[in-house]
This record gives sequence, C-alpha cells and structure tokens, in this order.
Amino acid sequence: MEKKKLIEFRNIVKEFDGQLVLKGINLDIYENEFVTLLGPSGCGKTTLLRILGGFLECDEGTVTFDGQDISKVPPYKRELNTVFQKYALFPHMSVYQNIAYGLKIKKMSKDVIEQKVMKMLKLIGLEGYENKNVTLLSGGQQQRVAIARALVNEPHVLLLDEPLGALDLKLRKEMQYELKRIQQEVGITFIFVTHDQEEALTMSDKIVVMKAGEIQQVGTPEDIYNEPVNRYVANFIGESNIIPGRMIEDRRVRFDDKTFDCVDFGFKPNQPVDVVIRPEDLDIVPVSEGKLTGTVDSVLFKGVHYELVVETVPGTHVTVSMRIIKNNEVSSENGKEKISANDFFVDIEDMKDMDDKDIIARADAQAWNPETDEYISINRIEYDLKPEEGEYPVTFETAAGTKIQKTIFVVNQPVVRNEKAGEAVSAFNFFKTVDEIEESVALDTDLKTWANAQGWKLNNEDEAVDIYVDYDFDPEKIRTGGVYRITFSTTGREFKVKTTDYIEEGQEVGLTFQPEDIHVMEKMIMG
Amino acid sequence: MKKFPQLAVPYIVWSAIMLLLPMLLIFFYSITNQGNSIVSFTLTLQHFHKFFTDPDFLLILWRSIAIAVKTTLICVLIGYPVAYFIANSSDRARNLLILVITIPMWINMLVRTYAWIGILSDGGILQSFLSLFGLGDVELMYTEGAVLLGMVYNFIPFMILQINTSLSKMDKSLLEASSDLGADGVQTFVRVTLPLSLPGVVSGITLVFLPAVSSFFIPKLLGGGQFFLIGNVIENQFITVGEWNFGSAISVIMAIIMMLSMYLVRRLDKDNTAERRVTGV
Repeated sequence: MEKKKLIEFRNIVKEFDGQLVLKGINLDIYENEFVTLLGPSGCGKTTLLRILGGFLECDEGTVTFDGQDISKVPPYKRELNTVFQKYALFPHMSVYQNIAYGLKIKKMSKDVIEQKVMKMLKLIGLEGYENKNVTLLSGGQQQRVAIARALVNEPHVLLLDEPLGALDLKLRKEMQYELKRIQQEVGITFIFVTHDQEEALTMSDKIVVMKAGEIQQVGTPEDIYNEPVNRYVANFIGESNIIPGRMIEDRRVRFDDKTFDCVDFGFKPNQPVDVVIRPEDLDIVPVSEGKLTGTVDSVLFKGVHYELVVETVPGTHVTVSMRIIKNNEVSSENGKEKISANDFFVDIEDMKDMDDKDIIARADAQAWNPETDEYISINRIEYDLKPEEGEYPVTFETAAGTKIQKTIFVVNQPVVRNEKAGEAVSAFNFFKTVDEIEESVALDTDLKTWANAQGWKLNNEDEAVDIYVDYDFDPEKIRTGGVYRITFSTTGREFKVKTTDYIEEGQEVGLTFQPEDIHVMEKMIMG
Repeated sequence: MKKFPQLAVPYIVWSAIMLLLPMLLIFFYSITNQGNSIVSFTLTLQHFHKFFTDPDFLLILWRSIAIAVKTTLICVLIGYPVAYFIANSSDRARNLLILVITIPMWINMLVRTYAWIGILSDGGILQSFLSLFGLGDVELMYTEGAVLLGMVYNFIPFMILQINTSLSKMDKSLLEASSDLGADGVQTFVRVTLPLSLPGVVSGITLVFLPAVSSFFIPKLLGGGQFFLIGNVIENQFITVGEWNFGSAISVIMAIIMMLSMYLVRRLDKDNTAERRVTGV
C-alpha cells in the first residue's frame, strides 16, 4: 500500500550567527511512520525539528504539511505536537490539568475532556495519577505525561526531541518499547530526534542520519546498518571494521594485500574505496582456511559473545634508549647561579635548520637563581656543528659566566619502514634527569615529545599515524638513573570480531567471510 | 567537611540583640506609662484603649491602609508590564534596564522625595508645563495624588525586581509547550506565565505594602500638613509630643496589622498551590 506523503522539507537552510546549521535539507515524511533524525549533537537535527514545530523559522526553503506550505504558520495553528527534551510540563498544574491543557484551549466540553484524558492516562499506564503534582513524578512518569499531553490533541504528527535523554538506561529501554507500542496503537507519524544509534535502530521505520547540517543517508534500520553509504554512517551506526581498499573491477575489491569477491559494483576500475565488514560477519577459522590471517590481540567478554581484536598486519615498532642521569646542574663559584642542560640527539636533516633557540629548547637548557628561583637568561651559546654524523660539544653560558658543557649527537634518523602496513615510525634516543621524569604529569606524551616519536603513512607523509608508548620501567623507581628501553609502536591493521567461541590472546587465527558481508563505500570527501 | 556550629553563636547573639531588643523595648513602652522605669513600672492597656476609641486615629489608620493598598495596586499594574518587558529583553538590555531601575536607589530616598517637591510645587516644572495648555492653576502639591505618586515612585523598583526575577526564572520551554498545544499569546499568558509569576507578585506586594503603610516622610513632604498618615502620628508622638508610650502602642498595632496582612497574602498564595494539587478539573 502506498503511504501518503505528509511532510515535505524542501531545501531548508538555517543560519545562526553566521554559521550554517542546516545546509539545504530535503526530506519527505509519510503517514504513520516512525522516523528518527539521528546524528551527534550540533548536527542540526533538533533545529530541523524546531522548524517543523514552528519554534524557528528557516532562512530558506519551504516546509509543506499535508500539501500546504506551513513555513509562516505559528506553532499554535500547526496540527502537530511536541514532546520536549525536558518535558516542559506545567509545574503549577496536576497531571490531569497538564494533559487537558490543549483540549481546554480548544474549549471542549468538560465531559469530553475528562473522557479523553482518562483514555490517555490508560494508554500511558498512569491511571490513578490524575491528581498528582507533576513535579513529584519520576522522570519516566513525567515523560509519559508529556507524551499524553501531546497525543490527547490527536495530532497528525508527534515530534519528540531527545525525550529519553534524561532517563536512566533501564528506563530508557522500557520507554523505547513503550513509544513504539504507543505509535503503533495510535497510528500516527512520530518524528524522533536522538543521538543514540541503538534507540534509532530499535524503534524506527526510517532513519535519517545527519552530519553537520546535511543528510548523509535515509533508509530503514536494516539499510543503514548493512549498506551504509560512507565511513561516517558506518562508524555512527554500530561497530564496524572500516578498511581502505581499491575496487579492481565490478564485484572484485582489493584490501589487506588480497583481492576478494564482493557483491558491489558501479565503481570506476581501481577507484580507492572504504570497505566495511561488521564484526559479527567475521568468522574465526583455522589459519589454513582463513581468507585473512592474524594474531588475537585482545579478548573481551561481552556477556553473550566475545569481542576479539585480530591483528592481520602487525604494527611498526621502534625502540630507543633513554639515559637517565641524577643531576645535570652546575653551580657558579659564588653559588648565586645554577645552570642545567641535557645532551641530545638530532637528525642531520633537522640539524641544518637549527638556530640557538632550537638548541636551547632541545637541550632544555636553563639557568636560575637557587635562592629566589628566578630564571636567568642564557645569553651565550657556543657550538660548532658539521652536517655529518658525530658528537659535537656545546656550551651554554649566562651573563655572569656560569656555564655548562653538553654534547649534541648528530645521527641519521633511524626510521622503521613497514611496507606491509604502509607506514613508518621514527624516534630518537634521549637524555633526561630523574627530576624531569618525576615531574612529568603525562609521561607517555612527554616521552613521545622527548624522543620526537613520529609515525606517518608511506603514501602520504602528511597523514599521521597514532603512536603508542611502551616501557617496562617503573617511573616511580628510577632514582638511580641508568639506561631504559622505550618502544614506540603503531597498532597495525586490526579487525574487531564478535564470536561465541573463546580464543586465547596471542593465538594465530584465520578470518573468513562471505562476499555479501563485504560492503564497499565511496571514500568520504573530508571537510 | 568539618562544621563549627559554635562559630555561629556570636552572630546569633548579635542578631538577637540588634533585632529583638529594640522591638521588645517598643513593646515594653506600649504597655507601660510614661515615667515608669524598668525597675518599677505598672502595666496598662490605656494607650491601646485611647487609640481605638478616638475616631480621628481610626480615620487616619483607615486612610493609611487605603493609600498603601492603592500604592500596591498601582505598583502591580505598572510594575508587571515593565517586569515582563525586562524579562523578555535580550541579556544586555535586561542588565541595562535593571541598572536603570536600581540607579534611583543609590540616592537617599529623602533627597529623591525632595526632588519631587521641585517638580510638583507651585510654579514648579510640572505646573509650568501644564500652564502651557492652560492648566496652570491645577493644585499638585499637598494632595493625595502627590503622596500616592511619591510612594509609587519610591517603592515600585521592589515590585519590578521581584516580578522580573520570577519571570526570568521561568522555563521558556513552557511557553513553547503552551503554544505547541494550541494556545495563542494571550492564552499562554493567562494560563502559564501569570500563574507561574504569582510568587514574585506576592513578594513584591509584601515589599511595597509594608513600607507604604507605615511611611511618614513621603506624606509629610508631599502631603504637607493636609495629608496625615499613621506614620506621621507615630513620628509626632515620639518627636513632637514626646509620648513615647502612646507612639509605641500605635507601632505595635501597626506591626500586628502588617503581620496579619502578610499572613493573609501568604495564605492566599499557598491556597492556590494547594488547590492546584488537590482538584482534578
């Protein structure tokens, strides 16, 4: 049966303080549908709802309701009702008076009002609550009253603005079923705004995924889940593995250095794409039968299933040594000044553009008055660097002549390239004092900075790769100084897998999937 | 957190002395005779008797209450729309308007009232202006109108600020909800805005009525000798006649009247709330 079109948004544009909140929304909503506007906060979903409710005017475009342009119609003349985010129940009225409000405004007779309100109380399961003070009800009950207050007016459309946001998890789940039941019972269109993808999947007939004022995808929950149009939608709806790949030809896609059959077509030959495989579509098999193979990196028990992370391409690692010395201070002869600095390593390439300031920063050179703790500027620095590997002395000196000599180690940058994962990482050995380690409030971040640890994609040097720090010393117990190993690594390529079988960490496994489990999407244009 | 209740003791003692002692003394004066000392005194109700049997005093009392009620009514009628306007202005405009309302309070009330004499007196600014329209001989000073004007002028900021506070605190989504349920602007005002702002109106009434009913320098300055209010009687008894005991008795009577009226206003507000909870329809 063809459903009747009820609401049409045409090219809706809305601007707040020069910022485009809605960038030309086109959307049709039909009779008797449960439609969810889904997106993160700030995507414009609530703005769109408020435009439909009449609380905001759009800057451009038209809203048509039942064939009539309602863009300029005030809220109280629109045949739709809203359940507000924080319910907006009238605190000076009882439950009964709240629900009866719209009917009283319409000047219905007392008998009719009473009959309708009682019917509503029954629908929402709050019989006997009619004389209660609304401010004394629980969140869930207030929610129901707000729904009843809107529904009693028999609107064609009910708008719900994140109505479940303020409820706790259990109540929220209950209300999800409750809302769906009410919608089916009264048989009108519900337009529901949420940022919760699970809510959207549970209740909706149609989901509208929004991002930054634009609609990304409109479809049934199944469509959106199984056939997301891009990386954004795939990420927002459920967990997924998104792997960069290349479309070889119709129904053939290449990723993870292998070519697979799939059911997607219509891309250009060799077009770069994103490939989605849902964690539940991956099966664990013996290594010999796997379409992909890898090592189990972590296992999490999730109640019904285990969630594994399988690493198919190992990460890239680089290990550096950190030399800890107890003290790097030098005092002046009269004891009025102290100066400190560290030895440091530097790459030949970087060394060429280094000036005095850079050297002071890299050596972390500083001078101060031990009595007043005031900083003293270092105004002389002497060094003689040549663009070749070697050790070069450097001297830092204050105006009063207090000086310290350190060494600059010029080296070739040790880069670890990982062709299989398509990435590279680099890091330097470095020198630090016990105090500097102890004073660090975010040691992992500091270690990355000190070692100048970097990771990047081989095919695009500007694309950074996240780096993780690993070390086996206890930062609390390094008072003695010494040399410590620090490893910087990337995660490699990982697949999340949902399985009911228990598999031990570190085990080699094969992964398999069906051609229809692969979903190929166009690369998203960023920005 | 550790609490130090004993630290509050000095403050409690201090407030008790500052607040209660003068009131107790007034009460003590009202039931004793002149010349009595605290050591040897006789209790008497003759001051109260004197007040309630003298028709002049009763007339003045009636006049005082009447003008206080009028003042309060005018303050509500003017103050509410002003407060409504302020509450619905943008943040910047609201701060500015509240500043404008409070600025006169930076200047002594007495001085401000003197300023009104300059405006209202014979040959003053207002009369000169009115004479342009041939109304030069209208008597402005020393009338009930002048006293009323002075009172409204002095007390209306309290009303505006109180109502503005309760209107600003109101959740704006309630107005959207009302509009959503089919109510136009007027219906929303009557059914939502007004009832929710009543607590502000009630405290505004209290803050205006109490000082208005016992005010003495406004009727003295703007009413001259023509318009005598109960505050002036008390002042006279203390300062001119030197009958402290009788003056104290009138003060006690006024205090009781004020307490009663406050109680009634609060009851009214509470009844409203209670009624809402109990009745269904």
